[in-house]
Amino acid sequence: MTGPDAEVLDVFRAEANERLDRMTELLIGIDDGSAPVDAIDLLFRDVHSVKGSAGMVGFDRTRTIAHELEDQLSAARAGDTLASELVEPLLRLTDAVRRSLGGGDDHDATATDPGQAAGEPAEPPTQTRGAPTIRMPAEKVDRLLDAVGESVVQMRRLEHMLDLSASDENAAWELGREKALLDGMQRAAIDMRTLPLASIVGRYPRAVRELALAERKEVVLETSGMETQLDRVILEGISEAIAHLLRNAVAHGIESPEERERAGKQRCGRVVLRAEQRGSFVAVAVADDGRGVDADVVARADAAGSLVGVLCTAGFSTAAAVSEVAGRGVGLDAVKTHVESLGGSIEISTVPGAGTTTTLLLPYSVALTRVLLIERDGRRFAVPLASVEEVAFVENPLSLVGRQALELHGSAVPLADLAALLGAPSRAPGARPRAVVVRSSESRQAVVCDRILGDQEVMVKSLGALLASTPGYLGAAIVDSGAIAPVLDPAFLTRRLGATAPAPAANGSEPQPPKLLVVDDQFTVRELQRSILEAAGYRVATARNGREACAAIAADAEIGLVVTDVEMPEMDGIELLRTIREDPRRSALPVVVLTSRASEDDKLRGAEAGADAYIVKDEFDQRALLDTVERLLVR
Amino acid sequence: VSDVHVRVHIGAESYSLPIASVREIAELGDIAPLPGAPAGVLGVCNLHGRVLPVIGLAGMLGIGHADHPTRIVIAEDGGRVAGLAVDSVSGVELLSASSEDVDSPHVNGSVLVDGVLVGTIDVGAVFESIERGSAR
Repeated sequence: MTGPDAEVLDVFRAEANERLDRMTELLIGIDDGSAPVDAIDLLFRDVHSVKGSAGMVGFDRTRTIAHELEDQLSAARAGDTLASELVEPLLRLTDAVRRSLGGGDDHDATATDPGQAAGEPAEPPTQTRGAPTIRMPAEKVDRLLDAVGESVVQMRRLEHMLDLSASDENAAWELGREKALLDGMQRAAIDMRTLPLASIVGRYPRAVRELALAERKEVVLETSGMETQLDRVILEGISEAIAHLLRNAVAHGIESPEERERAGKQRCGRVVLRAEQRGSFVAVAVADDGRGVDADVVARADAAGSLVGVLCTAGFSTAAAVSEVAGRGVGLDAVKTHVESLGGSIEISTVPGAGTTTTLLLPYSVALTRVLLIERDGRRFAVPLASVEEVAFVENPLSLVGRQALELHGSAVPLADLAALLGAPSRAPGARPRAVVVRSSESRQAVVCDRILGDQEVMVKSLGALLASTPGYLGAAIVDSGAIAPVLDPAFLTRRLGATAPAPAANGSEPQPPKLLVVDDQFTVRELQRSILEAAGYRVATARNGREACAAIAADAEIGLVVTDVEMPEMDGIELLRTIREDPRRSALPVVVLTSRASEDDKLRGAEAGADAYIVKDEFDQRALLDTVERLLVR
Repeated sequence: VSDVHVRVHIGAESYSLPIASVREIAELGDIAPLPGAPAGVLGVCNLHGRVLPVIGLAGMLGIGHADHPTRIVIAEDGGRVAGLAVDSVSGVELLSASSEDVDSPHVNGSVLVDGVLVGTIDVGAVFESIERGSAR
């Protein structure tokens, strides 16, 4: 069995070293009193990640030392502070972890090594590579991008001031040249953030082979276009999503060898992972030559207008008979949401009996996205172009049960004013309003605005920690003039109306199953819990940390129980619990705390904060979770 | 004990911010409103090519008759950064520790300086109110 290739190891080492650098800094900070209050939690998170990824690439020695470090930290943590005399041994262990990584990046380790017994490099040094490389924090590249972006804006202002259209051809030419140079600089900076897809596919062949074995199937995985470059943030974000699609393809798409023979196919099924650049997007597709999606479902999808929509509906995957096909929907919803949060979209095509192809359309770079700029009530907004289906005039809108719709190519698309969708008080739209038809795989929504200003390639920037839980936006873009346009989240625009659509209210006589909120920062854990709970008939919403969970609870009165992890970024489970207990409206909300460590300390904190139940992940079994949830909901 | 503070003015009132939490002072440019953002947030603005949330300090403090803000104080606390919109900034000064309690969750206390009552803004508390989604 071959190990991961050199490139994967490089990425692993770079990331581990980055975390180890931060850990060293934190430990030194604890020693001199300059560390943040949550330093120990941060240390834990970093060492845990190093341990996890070391296990994945097969660096057992690194994993063992990291595990030891984790244990010592855990012992030292009692009482929430770290005594100074414990810092030195922890620093030595950190260095030992670094040494065990081997590779060309251990110069820090050799410099500080006083002959500690903790470890020698376990792996032989890798062969020296051709070009020298520089590793730096992504933030530095972002700062460069910001500066280049500002320069572009500044230059346009200058251009405007000089009004070169009037006379000076030479000056106009010089300015055009300057523009091209800045453009080149921007591209170069963006290229610094990208890596080939190959850097994350290393573990897939093995995962596919093992799953196929477990499912008693014969499957080969083929890859193509793995040299395609993608932004590192996007690569990290889609790694789990691709794994999920491959799992679906093997578990539900490919038939058993016998079934394949009966259908006149080769015994061995094919799963293809391919990537290609499409304009400013990269398409990553997982295709199988299996049974395809059931003809009934395809018919339903035709009626509903979208196969993704049908497959992603929670109700679909929890259909009474959890059939093979129904299984295809499990978790796809989350993949969709995730891909959309990265500014991409998902497409599914199928031929019954011949196979299914799922395509993720992702922006080449998180830094640059093509958006459509629109104006409503004098304010500018941006919509990712990937989600814009078309732009239409609003003429003779249709109306039914007080809701408006627009006829487009023979079908009715729900119509709503952007200002109303965002809950912003505004004047009525102008004389000849336009509608932007936004598609978020699940549904379409015609969004009314006053004017369309055109499309532009922009850098989408985060709204920052303070506004992270504001719903409706992917971020904000700085446009040509230096002004800011909030970037609308297509999933929000289309979902909002879905929630208030008359259809679910019509069968209001039928009681809805209880709705639960699953909170965990790890995609896999979240999805595992979601699929277990949905299979048991519950409706499930998810959040990635305490802060998101608070926002979800505040926005959705239907949430009747929370299942939360403890260790999470931004706001941990205990803090979430405390916040819920302090909220007079939701203080009675049952909360189940799941933790990865059977630590008495954690349990105590949980009990103090008012947890209703406690489940340790290591002892996790779905029966226990379901029993606990059922008990708490009946109460 | 005294500490270095930045003195700001909102309407007829005076406040101060500890210099440790002030990163920069800038002119208030165009603000893009962000419908749906927590109360107290005026929108976002462009600061040196970055997106910065802008908080209306007048609203957070319950001052009804504020003039138009012209400056932002870029404040930082616990990894969170935002611009606090104020009418004007008069300078940096040494202020003794606040002596009087003030009935606002966003003000740490007040101190009398040459006949002017100056409230000390609690930047962390302002940010936490925003995060909880309520201005007061």
